[in-house]
Amino acid sequence: MYDIATDHASALGAAIVLLAFGLVFLRLLRVLARRQAGWAWRFLAGFDAASPMAKLAAALMLVSGAVHLALVPGHDGITGLLFIIDGLGFIALALGAFTTTWWRRPAALWLSTTIVAYLVWVIAGWEAPDQVGIACKLIELIALGLVMRLKNPSRAGWPRRLWRATAFPLLVSLTTLGIWIGGLVHPDALHAHAGAVLQPVASVATPEERTAAARLLADTKASLRRYQDPAAAVSAGYKPGPVSDADPLLHFQNQANSHAVLDPNRPQALVYARTPVGLKLVGAMYQMPRVGQWGPDPGGPLTQWHQHEGICFSPFGFEFSLETPFWTCPVGSGSITTPPMLHVWIIDNGKSGPFAAELDKAARRQLTGRSSP
Amino acid sequence: MNQMTATESRVEIAGVLVVLQASLSLVAGLSAIPFGIVEPGFRVLSLVTILVAAMMFWLARNLRRGRRWAWRWLVLVEVLSLTVTVLLTLLPIGTIRGPVPLLANLVIPWAVLVLLASGSSRSADPRPGPADPA
Repeated sequence: MYDIATDHASALGAAIVLLAFGLVFLRLLRVLARRQAGWAWRFLAGFDAASPMAKLAAALMLVSGAVHLALVPGHDGITGLLFIIDGLGFIALALGAFTTTWWRRPAALWLSTTIVAYLVWVIAGWEAPDQVGIACKLIELIALGLVMRLKNPSRAGWPRRLWRATAFPLLVSLTTLGIWIGGLVHPDALHAHAGAVLQPVASVATPEERTAAARLLADTKASLRRYQDPAAAVSAGYKPGPVSDADPLLHFQNQANSHAVLDPNRPQALVYARTPVGLKLVGAMYQMPRVGQWGPDPGGPLTQWHQHEGICFSPFGFEFSLETPFWTCPVGSGSITTPPMLHVWIIDNGKSGPFAAELDKAARRQLTGRSSP
Repeated sequence: MNQMTATESRVEIAGVLVVLQASLSLVAGLSAIPFGIVEPGFRVLSLVTILVAAMMFWLARNLRRGRRWAWRWLVLVEVLSLTVTVLLTLLPIGTIRGPVPLLANLVIPWAVLVLLASGSSRSADPRPGPADPA
């Protein structure tokens, strides 16, 4: 569900380069300190005296600062300006961790403000949540958690202790929720529905593509005539998948066809609807062998493949739920991404059309007598 | 400037990471509840996840207090978590795709294990510490 935006990829490299640069910088400081450079000696004294916790918090703020500065070229206007301020602020606070005694409170404030600002931007739709942004928030949350634990709490009263115990988990939860809301409220053009990512295609089909799409539909219909009876499908090597109460569709898969590519005579799966009067063949599902390997789309935008990402699959009952933006699933389920697939519906699929990622709601209701969950 | 020893600091870092993991688990458990309406299995899984998250909050609190049993349970939980993630990563199902799953599901559990191991080797007999403010 969350990819790495093209203009954000460089930020990952910048973070790694900055950490390497930081190590070289420390070595240089030691050389300068040995040559009696007072400022280098003072910085190193602060660095050596700092706890591993303060050092880690500073390193994480440096990484966040580097990521923000590396993202400036891809962001115009106020967002770009804020990234410059944010990046420089993080770097200054990271250095301040070894040269000042008052850096913790500004650091906590800076980290919290940055996280909240990101949520505002994402929920407002001014920034699409992607893996670089989410990873950066994860790093900032860890840094914030460390900074909050650095202060000596021995003299704190119970309200402050309660705040210290609940503030961090609360912020982590709200951050997750905020990114989720932003992603779901403002899906990009390649998200058909939560968890399904569409193949990038041109916006308009050419006459040749329309003809090719019509041919694929006709060939699939002709091929599927022999499988109207599920028994015929089973004798041809198709095996029914697990039944889920949440899904009225039942996929019969044939592993022998797993390496065929968009072959109407050898579809990877047959899709049956569980109707009140038994199984009814409603379509075929073509699937590519590997994750991320988009299939040929003879119909251009008409035959757009999709793959399911960001879903938690539980083998207990063959059930699905959605992953959180931080890629976590409930215990007993695991994150999966399916290889790209293309459905061809041989029944009237309403406005969605014969190659839609999902069976149209009206068609589903008509077949099964109930609406989709 | 150095308000805590290196060992105490490592335990504190591990504690922060475990609280982060617990918070992420809590959200994962809560977010599965709506799916439980139509998928009965997820009713159980969401409840189990919320209980695991609560247990991790409690373990983090007791780790900071220097409880040896909390250290043992956390090692067990993290080893289990890492093992499952590594096994899922070996399957061609796209479990780890990008920096976020790498950080959340591999780097953080591994870092907690390293911190717990280093905290243990440097402090052979962790004593019950002062009352944890959390």
